[in-house]
Amino acid sequence: MTLLVIATYPVVDGPVLEGPVTIEPDGAIAIGGTRVPSSQGTSAMLGAAVQVAAHLGTPPPHALVAGDIGRGDGTRAVYERLSEAVKRIGPSVIAFHYMQPVMALMRKAVHELAEIAPDALLVADAGGMYAAKAAGLATRFELMTPDVGEVGFLADPEVTHPAYVSHYLFGNDGFDPVALAATAHETGGASRVLLIKGVRDHIAEYGAIAEVVDEPCVPELEAIGGTGDTVAGLASAFLAAGFPTVDAARCASLANREAGRAMGATPAMHASDLVAALPGVLADNLCRWGGACVV
Amino acid sequence: MALFARKDRKTAPGADEALGLFLFDAVNDALSAERVLKAAGYEVSLVAPPAHLRAGCDLSVALPRVEHIGAERELIDAGVPLREWVADAEGTAEVCDLVTSVDFGQWLMVRAGNMKIVVEKDTGLIVNTSGGGCPDIPYLNLALVGKRVDEVPRPKDLGYTLCGLMLDRAYQEVRAQLDAREMETVGVGGGAV
Repeated sequence: MTLLVIATYPVVDGPVLEGPVTIEPDGAIAIGGTRVPSSQGTSAMLGAAVQVAAHLGTPPPHALVAGDIGRGDGTRAVYERLSEAVKRIGPSVIAFHYMQPVMALMRKAVHELAEIAPDALLVADAGGMYAAKAAGLATRFELMTPDVGEVGFLADPEVTHPAYVSHYLFGNDGFDPVALAATAHETGGASRVLLIKGVRDHIAEYGAIAEVVDEPCVPELEAIGGTGDTVAGLASAFLAAGFPTVDAARCASLANREAGRAMGATPAMHASDLVAALPGVLADNLCRWGGACVV
Repeated sequence: MALFARKDRKTAPGADEALGLFLFDAVNDALSAERVLKAAGYEVSLVAPPAHLRAGCDLSVALPRVEHIGAERELIDAGVPLREWVADAEGTAEVCDLVTSVDFGQWLMVRAGNMKIVVEKDTGLIVNTSGGGCPDIPYLNLALVGKRVDEVPRPKDLGYTLCGLMLDRAYQEVRAQLDAREMETVGVGGGAV
């Protein structure tokens, strides 16, 4: 029941960090005792995952990260350490997050994981999701968490990055998550379960919509960097706690939205504000949402 | 007289000419190449390379094949790392140019592709950036948030990936909208038409 997160943090030449993730008293994220910058991205994802583990009493997430500001150096360093770390930790869920989307590295990693951790559930968001889909490996994943633009990317077999997708990018002008989820599944661009983040969150299983979550509706969350990352962290942690994948996705969607409401979200707030609101939200609602008061 | 003088051609690449591609190992090298070649007068465009030439988060520069030699020398002289030239642009894809805005009252959010930037209208303060999934995006978030939009370097000059490029498009649009808003305010205050 351990979540391993494979990712990067935004520091030039930042060393490889590995260890359990904690939230410091001031809200900063620490990995193996070393603080990383608070930003959108993996620190937001990890913060949300820590709050779920703390609430459920499950082990905290374990992270393997390195500094990378977009040059790919940290991404390569993390991939080099991945197999050894997986063998030692034995995670039940492995989540790929902010990484340089290099298809060859993802292919090698997924191939190795099939050998050394065949039962581990794979999750992908952000650059990890871009690489998995572009490399033709999406179907090897249990869960991906695209937003409305990224599901168009998953549904288009010809593109390797969301920057090349123009259709339905913002969830309007004919955006149809039902059709896009089905197309992504049929063309091999989707994981078994998709959590499509938007004004309405759609959860698809094998390409068919299983759940729709649209309350509470907090439009300001779209403007806050990292609030999609917190959804990915919540879902990954629920999955590692043993929730069925669709339930993990639904509880993640509900918790993120409720936290946005509870914090009184404005476009000038930050993902760390949402992470700070999660303990109260989980305590007040998770039993009702998921029937999982104690794992 | 220089054999390869600076270009002064204004027709769009590909309008009636066969195109080729410069390929790069890093997106920021492609962005540098675009900047160098445009400054030299070449009409170039940033595109995704064809599927069989892609390695991941790829961006290439398309220009007419006939201009390959002179353009390559410009890049070498400027120290832009170049992987190779491919004399066939079949199967390329354009970068998304879809840009929209959301008015949150005190704040303005502009989306470009999968990237977003949010500014406080009255101060020009960047209060958030979001979207994307490449590692330079959290880095850009730290570099930009909390600073005025007219006082920060362009995301294109700080970032390294396609996500960074899309954030640059949002940045340009938000600056244009704030400039227009300021002009409107000055016009009203000064009695201008």
